[in-house]
Amino acid sequence: MQRLIGLATAVSRAGAWFGGALVLLAAAIVALDVVLRAALSVTIGGSDELSGYALAIASAFAFALALLDRAHVRIDTLYAILPTRLAALLDVLAMAAMVALACFLALQGWRVFAQSWTLGARALTQLNTPLSVPQALWVAGLGWFALVACLLLLRAVMLLLKGDAAGVARLIGTRTAAEDLAEERAAQRVARGGGA
Amino acid sequence: MIAVAIGILVGLLVLSLPVAAALMGLGLTLDILYSFLPLRRVLGDTAWGVSTDVVLFSIPLFVMLGEVMLRSGIAERMYDAMARWLGWLPGGLMHANIGTCTMFAAISGSSVATAATIGTVAVGQIRAQGYNERLFLGTIAAGGTLGILIPPSIPLIIYAALTDTSIPQLYLAGILPGLILALLFMLTVVLACVVRPGWGGRRPRVTWAERRAALPDLLPPFAIFVAVIGSIYAGLATPTESAALGVLAALALSWRLKALSLAMLRAVFEGTMRTTAMIMLILIAAYFLNFIIGSIGLGRMVTEAIAALGLTPMQTVIAIVLFYFVLGMFMETLSMMVATVPLVMPVVLSLGLDPVWFGVLMMLLLETALITPPVGFNLFVVQGVRERGPVKDVILGAAPFVGTLLVMIALLIAFPGIALTLPQALR
Repeated sequence: MQRLIGLATAVSRAGAWFGGALVLLAAAIVALDVVLRAALSVTIGGSDELSGYALAIASAFAFALALLDRAHVRIDTLYAILPTRLAALLDVLAMAAMVALACFLALQGWRVFAQSWTLGARALTQLNTPLSVPQALWVAGLGWFALVACLLLLRAVMLLLKGDAAGVARLIGTRTAAEDLAEERAAQRVARGGGA
Repeated sequence: MIAVAIGILVGLLVLSLPVAAALMGLGLTLDILYSFLPLRRVLGDTAWGVSTDVVLFSIPLFVMLGEVMLRSGIAERMYDAMARWLGWLPGGLMHANIGTCTMFAAISGSSVATAATIGTVAVGQIRAQGYNERLFLGTIAAGGTLGILIPPSIPLIIYAALTDTSIPQLYLAGILPGLILALLFMLTVVLACVVRPGWGGRRPRVTWAERRAALPDLLPPFAIFVAVIGSIYAGLATPTESAALGVLAALALSWRLKALSLAMLRAVFEGTMRTTAMIMLILIAAYFLNFIIGSIGLGRMVTEAIAALGLTPMQTVIAIVLFYFVLGMFMETLSMMVATVPLVMPVVLSLGLDPVWFGVLMMLLLETALITPPVGFNLFVVQGVRERGPVKDVILGAAPFVGTLLVMIALLIAFPGIALTLPQALR
C-alpha cells in the first residue's frame, strides 16, 4: 500500500513537471505573440486559446500532487488544538470530502468531454480546435486526482483502524508553517546545487 | 436562508475540511435545499470555463515568476543593497527588511517565500548588531504582507476574477497605497527607535562609493517590474501577456546570474504547479458557489438584510472592516476572501462603492489578517525562520504594524483618492 502511494507520488510529480513545462511553453508562445504583434504587427493567433488549455490541463494534473503534498488549504484553527486522535478523525473526514469533490468533479468533467465528443464540438476560434482533445487530457488529470484521493482515503482509514493517529497526521494532516518553511529552504538549496 | 448558508460554511470550515470542498459542499447543499432545478449539473462546464480562463492563466505565470526570482539568489543581493541605502535611518537594517520586502513584493506574490528568504538572511543580524529582537522580527512579518498589495499581486488577480473588475485598474490602484504603506511601516520603525534608541542596533557604516556599487543589484527586479507593469499600460500587452514576458525575463536574468539549471527548473515547476493547483481548485469551487448564490437569490437577500439595518454607507464600510478584522484573526487569508466575496460584493455595489477601491481595501484587510494572532501566517513563518524562543515575540513585534495597517485603512476610507487617482488619470 505504501509502495502504491510512493508510485502515485512519483507519477504525480512527473505530472507537475509536465504541467510546469506546459505553462512555460504557453508563456513562450504568448510572449512571442506579443513581440511579433508589437514589432511586425502580425499575430500568430490562438495563443489565448492555447494558454487556456495549458492552464486547464496543467492544473488538473497538479491537483493530485497538491493533495499528496497536503497543499490544499484547510482552516486548522480548531484542528490545531485538538488531541491527536480527534485530529486524525478530522483528517479522515477531510480526505473523504476531498474524495467526494474529486469524484464529482471528474464525473461532471467527463460529461463535458463526452458531450463534446459525441457532438464533435469545435472551439469558435481561429484554431477551430476539436474541444474533445484538450478536454480528454483535462479529464484524465481529474480522473487521476480522484484515484489518488481514493487511495489516500483508503490508506488513512487503514491507519486509523490500526490506531496509528500519528501516521494519519503524517499522511494527510494539515501542514504547519514550519513544514512549509523547511520545504521552501530545501527547494532553494536544491536549486543552488546542494547548498553551495 | 442566510443563516443556514453561513452556518453550513462555518461548520464545514471549523471541521477543517479543505476550503475547496467546504465551498463546494455549501454550493451543493444550497442547490438541494433552495433550487427548483438541479444546478449542480453546471459544475462540469463551470470547471472547464474557469480552468481555461485566459485571465487566470496569469496566476501560474506570476507564481512561476516569483519562484524563478527566488531561486536565482537575487534576494540576498537586494537585501545587501537595501542595507547600504537605508541602513543610516534610525532602526538600521530594519528598514532594509521592509525595503527588500517592498521590492520583492513587486516581483513575487508569495509571502512565505519572501519572509523565508529575507528572514534567513536577516535573522543572524539581530544579536550581532544588537537590535530589539521583537521589533526586528515584526518588520519582516509586516514587510512580507506588502506582496499582496503591490502589483503584480495574485490575490488581486483572484479578486478581479471573482468580482469581474479590471486587473489593470486594480494594479494601478495598488501602487500608491503600497508605497505609502511601506513608508508608514518605515516611519513606525523610526518612531519606535527615536522613543527607544536602544532598539535600533548598530547602523552599518557605508560610503557613497559602496552604495553606488550596490545599485546594479537593485536594477534587475526593478526592470522586471517596469517590463511587467509598463507593457500593460503602454497598451502592448494584456495582464496575462505581461506575466508571460516577465517569466521569460526572469529566466533570462537567472541564466545571467548562472542560477539556471535543470534541478532549479524542476523545483520551479513543482512549486508553481503545487500553488496553482491549490488556488485553481478553490477557484473552481468558488465560481460554482458564486453561481448557486446568484441563482437562488442569496446575494440579493444579504443586500436587503444589510439595507434593512438602516446603516449609512460609511457605517456599513466600517462594519465590513470590523468583520474582516475579526475574521482575519482566525482564518487563512485567501480562503477568507474567496468565501466571503460572493456575499459581500453585492452589498458593496448596492452602496455605490467603487469595486476598484474596495479591492485595495480588501488587500489591506488581508495584509492585516496575515499578522494578527492567533492565526497569522506570516507570524508563523517568521517564527519558523528564527527557530528559537516563543512565537509571542513575533506577535508582539508585529503588533505596532497592525496599528500602522489600521491607520492606512482609515486613510484609504477617508481619502479614496489614494487608490483611485492613478487609475482615473489613466482611464
